[in-house]
Amino acid sequence: MHPILKNFLDKWVYPTGFTGSGVEFRLRQTERCLPLWDKLVGQAIEFAERDLKSGTAEYKAVRARAGYAAEGPFMSLKQMSTQILSVTVDEQSKYIDLQRMRARQIWDEVKHGQLHADVLLRGGFIKREEELMDDPRANTQPKLSYFGMTAMFPHIHPLARAGQHYYNESMACLGIAATLSVIDDDLVRHQLRSQEAEEMMHFMEGKYQIDAYALTPADQQPIEEVFDFLLRPWAPEPSRALGGSQ
Amino acid sequence: MCYVVCREININAVVVSPTSQHFLEIDERCTYPKCTVCLMYCPAEGSIVETDTGRSMVPPPPEAWTENQRWPRQP
Repeated sequence: MHPILKNFLDKWVYPTGFTGSGVEFRLRQTERCLPLWDKLVGQAIEFAERDLKSGTAEYKAVRARAGYAAEGPFMSLKQMSTQILSVTVDEQSKYIDLQRMRARQIWDEVKHGQLHADVLLRGGFIKREEELMDDPRANTQPKLSYFGMTAMFPHIHPLARAGQHYYNESMACLGIAATLSVIDDDLVRHQLRSQEAEEMMHFMEGKYQIDAYALTPADQQPIEEVFDFLLRPWAPEPSRALGGSQ
Repeated sequence: MCYVVCREININAVVVSPTSQHFLEIDERCTYPKCTVCLMYCPAEGSIVETDTGRSMVPPPPEAWTENQRWPRQP
């Protein structure tokens, strides 16, 4: 296991404030995640090292455009608003704190888009953020399970989103930590440092939701099904998921 | 998260400061070290400090999440 992952587990994953079936369920799901979390750390380091060896600054723009596509205003508003809809009106009193955290995430993700735009602006890759509206590279992302079945959450269960928060946001934390261990460029580090606290917050949302609320088999099943989906090897690759070869 | 967790277990010791900064504060209703549950869900390293010693409690040290300090969560 990579030391970055071990450090993350010891600091943030294994400390548990509750006992009960929710915690036990989360730790079982954690075991399923470990191989992919470890793989992600290795890949993030490999990508960062490759970026540094490229000898140009273009990698910063590539990363920022992809980040803007994933977390710019359009994508953020669309995907984050759907998670609000997973709690029906009659369940709002039960899950009001989740609603507040999820509403906050709309702002968080849009802000992350701004961080990516800042890299492009301050790096001299664009003169105005509006230029990104005309650039497909800053507006498209290919991952089928991006943010983990976001569009489906309103149709599943109020707690299903916890699977995304726990699995995907942990990978954001790990990817940032791995990248920061390699790249010392000021623009990249500023963006990642500004973003890392928010990613940790969203991971903690998932940890808390599962520990505190996923207490019955009926509540655990929809979360486990999200993990089932996210852990499939083709989940980040739409063409393979739809029968293609890549 | 500390605010949400503390409210969930009906201790309500985490409050928003009335100052212009609106910091979160922990008041006298906190039962630490009997209850340490908020520490396990705080995402901000170093943001909760033990008054007596000044040591950081986030991420929580192992003795803060021993079995007898965890909050039982029932369906």
